[in-house]
Amino acid sequence: MSVPGPQTLRAADLEALAVGLCLLGSGGAGDPHPFSSVLRSRLGDGELVLHAPAGLAGASVVPVGMVGATSVFTEKLPHGGEFGAAVAAIGRWTGALPEAVMAIETAGLNGITALVAALHLGLPYVDADLAGRGLPRLDQLTWVSAQLPLTPCALAFPGGHTLLIDRASPTDVERTIRAALAGTGGWAALALTPVPAGLLDETACVGTLGRALALGRAHGSLRMMADAAEVAEVLGGEILGEGRVYDVLRHSSDGGLHAESSVTVLDRQGPVLRIETENEFLMVLVDGQPRATVPDLICLLDRRTNRPLAVDALRRGDEVFVLVLPAPAWWLAPEHLDRVSPSAFAIDCPPLLLAGRP
Amino acid sequence: MSAESPVLLVALLGHADWQQVSVLASPPAPTLTVSGVSLVPDIRGRGTDLGGHLLAVLQPPSRNDWHIDVLIQSAASGGASAVLIGDSSPLSQPSSALAARVGLTVLGADDPLAAALAARRFVSEAELHAADTVLRVTSMAVRSGEGVEDVMKAVGSVLRRPLALVATGGDTLLGADVVLEEDRETVARTLTAVAARSRATQRVELSGSALLIAHPVPPTTARDATMWLVTRLPHDLPAESAASTAALSVAAAVIGQRASLRRLAVERDARARASLLGELLNAPDDLAPTTRRRALDAGWRLDGWHLGVRIDTSPDVDPVAQRPEVVNALREEGLEAVVVEQGDGWSAWITSEDEPRGADVEARAGQIRRAQRRLSITAATAVGVGRCHSGPRGVARTLGEAGEAARLAAGRVASGRFLHVDRLGLGQTLLAWTRTDTFQPAARSLLAPLEGQPGDLLHTLTTYLDEESSVSETAAILGIHRNTVSQRLSRIRSLLAVDLADPSERLALHLACRTIWIPPSDVG
Repeated sequence: MSVPGPQTLRAADLEALAVGLCLLGSGGAGDPHPFSSVLRSRLGDGELVLHAPAGLAGASVVPVGMVGATSVFTEKLPHGGEFGAAVAAIGRWTGALPEAVMAIETAGLNGITALVAALHLGLPYVDADLAGRGLPRLDQLTWVSAQLPLTPCALAFPGGHTLLIDRASPTDVERTIRAALAGTGGWAALALTPVPAGLLDETACVGTLGRALALGRAHGSLRMMADAAEVAEVLGGEILGEGRVYDVLRHSSDGGLHAESSVTVLDRQGPVLRIETENEFLMVLVDGQPRATVPDLICLLDRRTNRPLAVDALRRGDEVFVLVLPAPAWWLAPEHLDRVSPSAFAIDCPPLLLAGRP
Repeated sequence: MSAESPVLLVALLGHADWQQVSVLASPPAPTLTVSGVSLVPDIRGRGTDLGGHLLAVLQPPSRNDWHIDVLIQSAASGGASAVLIGDSSPLSQPSSALAARVGLTVLGADDPLAAALAARRFVSEAELHAADTVLRVTSMAVRSGEGVEDVMKAVGSVLRRPLALVATGGDTLLGADVVLEEDRETVARTLTAVAARSRATQRVELSGSALLIAHPVPPTTARDATMWLVTRLPHDLPAESAASTAALSVAAAVIGQRASLRRLAVERDARARASLLGELLNAPDDLAPTTRRRALDAGWRLDGWHLGVRIDTSPDVDPVAQRPEVVNALREEGLEAVVVEQGDGWSAWITSEDEPRGADVEARAGQIRRAQRRLSITAATAVGVGRCHSGPRGVARTLGEAGEAARLAAGRVASGRFLHVDRLGLGQTLLAWTRTDTFQPAARSLLAPLEGQPGDLLHTLTTYLDEESSVSETAAILGIHRNTVSQRLSRIRSLLAVDLADPSERLALHLACRTIWIPPSDVG
């Protein structure tokens, strides 16, 4: 989804952006609100240009983002230098000086971190990312699908130390970083190898931040207590049900590594909706029949305020809309779909997508 | 394989083979039926042609697996009656919410295969189930111990239902309480003595869908009361009730046979005891060594002091069958007595080392009286107690006295049909005998012609007999002329048509007089 002409971002857009990023987070990816106030103060009265990759064709673009526990990030705030340190480390290792910044994942908290990093480093921001939505693992990034290596990559921890990983497979990168995070502060700033901006149209989701803004603005136009049809139409998706959260069943597999849960929503019209989740909402069953899966964006919205609800914030008794938004276009290509299809989350169900339907 | 016949799911759930099956979601409606069983290997399996079937999933699924929801949905839309999954831990909230929504009963079992096969047998292989049950009942019953209880236990272990011997009218004689108070009337109406004669199995439908299956037990002797072998089924599961019907007829026959065997053994013992006692009573002074030996074997102590007890009962009571109850009644009062069936009742005696003191005997009599009261639940008895006598001859004497006392006691309602010889002299005992319910009417009718005649004929006759048939003594006592006495006596002879010179007639008249005209000294 490319947007014609460079878009700009002002402090006034931040509220819409945060909601949009939450919707792209599909229940996960962290809450962008706390960190967006950092961005607000950085932006001041100024504006940030969201460059299309084509506009900076020759520039070397470094993808940045935070990895680890988003909940720890909001409690153990960054001192500001982490993203700079990571980018500097990757520059030193590769010998290439980054000329622009992009996001690893434009969803939830990480939609904001790359913007803050761009402002901090004084580099232009390219509206492209390697996920297009909230995704839990580094080995699910577009580069892995496009056969690009994730290494070398650099991690800067809030404690000041830096970790550089090279010559590792995407799975090893994921595993190494998880292990390192468990032994340190819970989160770290990550910078991947800088690549020429010209490569991004083929290997990344382009315009995701623009989509977040558009979604956020559309959401902002919704009335309180809007009905299901209105919400679906304004946000460009489909409502699978509306009702009360009857139960949140938290369970985990793989010895507790993956926090899984099953959310039961009793629709006001009678159907029983079951939403299978890990960090994000992965699948919706209506009356025992699978109706929607990843990579489409499954979102639960508060039925009164329409605000997106995160997986870990859901409680019994919440009144919700169960909404599905189309997946990022990049993932719909058959050769890419495998990496983010339900089977990538150990759900043996074929992908059920809005895009495939008449 | 026979035709499939739908069975109620609640009935399946009530069967012992389905003990391990529990309802996880949407309890079945009482009318929900299962007409077949479909098996799928795991939760991802989809049965075909599920209409009315029980869908059993053999591999136990993880409770949080969303595939359970898909299974529930597809089973419900396929028209399945219920779904059975492995292990009986509760369903997850989403799955139970869905089961409630689509109205599909979900069952859990630790061994779903066994449960599914059991269900299949009940639904489509009823004859096989009946045949198998009968075979197992037969082999268990034949191999069981000697007693009726052993047979009941063996049969119960195959049927796995409460089993009891029930009398006509619904009283449980042995085994579990299968007849509840509220069902008594229904049961009494169906399990009649007349119905038992037809030798056919009876079905009694009870309140709350329960069912009694009853088969009459063949009687051992003609005077045996009718007994039914009864089992209670909580629901009418056709395969089970058919199997129980067949199994009970086999079991009832075995129980009848065991009862006959026991009866034979008991009667053999009874005969042995009776003949031993006969020898003892006939020749107490000159006991053959073999008799002594047999008495010793029987645990009878011939030396020491004996207190005899005679218990008479009505002819419709079987003394052989009821002997244990007599022994128990005495034992519960702390009396270890030798009890021998004799005629319409029992002769018993209690032996002690030393001659008992009067108070001891009184206490014993009290215990015997209480034992009689215990016995009154099963049989009405008249009890007589003799005096203490020692040695082998003592047994005969005290039993003789006790027998006399018991005969007297039979007519004495006021004393609870209990009489202890020690309390009266022997003469009084004899006299007392004339005041019994049986003798008094006879005496009255014998002397009836004298009533209403001029002259105090009854008083005259009594005095005359009392005074050794002396006319002059009689005249002196009554204060009348001896001719008057003679004239009265001749009137009496003609009215009663008796010969006062005949000793036996004189004795009968004398007793009758003493019965009806009681001298003032004897009153009270």
